[in-house]
Amino acid sequence: MYGDVAALNNYLVVGAILFSLGLIGFVARRNLIVMFLCAELMLQGVSVTLVGFGAYRSTWSGQVFAIFSLALAAAEAAIALALIVMLFRRGHSLDVSLWQDLRDPDQPAVVDEKVSDEDIPEPEWPHLTVAGRAPAEHAAAKVEGTGGENGEMLQNSQRSSASRSGPNRVHGVAGASRGVTHDDH
Amino acid sequence: MPETVEQTSLVLRMSVILLPVLLFLAVGGVGVYLMLPRGQTRRQAGPRIGGGLLAVVSVALLSLMPLPVDLKQQITEHVLRPLPEGTSCTVFHGLAFVSVAAAVMMITSRNPVYSALWFALVLLSNSALYLLQRAEFLAAATVIVYAGAIIVTFLFVIMLAQPMGTASYDRLSREPLLACITGTLLSGALVASMFYAVNVEIQIAEPGDKLGGPPAWASNKLVQDQLVRSFESRDVSLRGPAATSWRLHGDQGEKPHVLGLGQTLFLEHYVSIEVIGMLLLAAVAGAVLIATQPEAGKVTGG
Repeated sequence: MYGDVAALNNYLVVGAILFSLGLIGFVARRNLIVMFLCAELMLQGVSVTLVGFGAYRSTWSGQVFAIFSLALAAAEAAIALALIVMLFRRGHSLDVSLWQDLRDPDQPAVVDEKVSDEDIPEPEWPHLTVAGRAPAEHAAAKVEGTGGENGEMLQNSQRSSASRSGPNRVHGVAGASRGVTHDDH
Repeated sequence: MPETVEQTSLVLRMSVILLPVLLFLAVGGVGVYLMLPRGQTRRQAGPRIGGGLLAVVSVALLSLMPLPVDLKQQITEHVLRPLPEGTSCTVFHGLAFVSVAAAVMMITSRNPVYSALWFALVLLSNSALYLLQRAEFLAAATVIVYAGAIIVTFLFVIMLAQPMGTASYDRLSREPLLACITGTLLSGALVASMFYAVNVEIQIAEPGDKLGGPPAWASNKLVQDQLVRSFESRDVSLRGPAATSWRLHGDQGEKPHVLGLGQTLFLEHYVSIEVIGMLLLAAVAGAVLIATQPEAGKVTGG
């Protein structure tokens, strides 16, 4: 009835390492999206463990639990991404430190270290050759706009975010890091 | 009780055996610490490369380290053990290495897009690991649901919300040293407890019990009877992938894989299926409600 101990051992070790890596990433990284990816990584570690146990006990229960965790991960991803979109709309940044107003009142605030901005490369947008004939009056604008949809979208969002940044809803430290982020553009 | 004495000596020897494992895990933790973004510029890539090398070395050492683990028989074993006939040991080791290395790259990438792509690689190698354990449906579902849907949605959100270039908060970690120490301790504790469970508990409680019958821990007559009854009352297909799980086609008249899994899901876990369906529905409704809120600045000032 029981499977192979060696396989069980191997899967447990791999699952433990994946879970720990997810924990490290979740605690250390500051990007909201990367944090939620790390949560998914922890779920993957648990799934590996469950599949290993299921194969060892030779029942379907491990796989059934892993399928449930898969569905849970899907639900969690939906909610988390909606939250990320909402938080980005409010803070115009994915930095989790923007929301440290939510900490306990006796906790000290996180102060950012200075990061040198010198190595940020200019984004290189692809230069597409103009195919066919351009209409006469809009030709110049078309050539300008060949940067691609991404560039236009980001520029638009940047413009709108600049216009939207009204009363200072985040406190000083977060505001400073926001300024750095905008300078990066 | 002689059993308890034997157990204590086993635990002692186990802890001595486990020390090098913890050492190698600590080396991996140092490597991950060096690889985490700590505000270096792109040209200061020395610590990052060194950390990557350290992490690779620790994983390799961990998988190749000989251990006198099998306490009864004194056979030299490895932390990641060679698998029995029918499977290639190399396949498992390669997949496990790809999975762990991609996970390390995922949590240390400065660009969230790269993080998502490395996570997709983790998912692919994990689903191959599931295939090795005859979890075909789970492997397919992982690829379809995770890599096909969740990763793509993540990428959409990244494209929507990520500023150009690498943001400053992506090049800084929060308390990377403490995080790596915590992760190393956690992985050490997990691996140690698993070693104890797999090597001591199982070998003592179920000595040589590989096949058949209720396990020896069910010494209670009532529990044994119940177990026997529950085993006998089941269809063969409900018993899961049989002990011959390393062959591709079971030769004991098993039903096909998905049939057995579906029977288990919808006969034994039908309430859970309903609950998880309701949960998914609620999550989707909640996501739509959250994401389509009106312009945020006007709703709340705080």
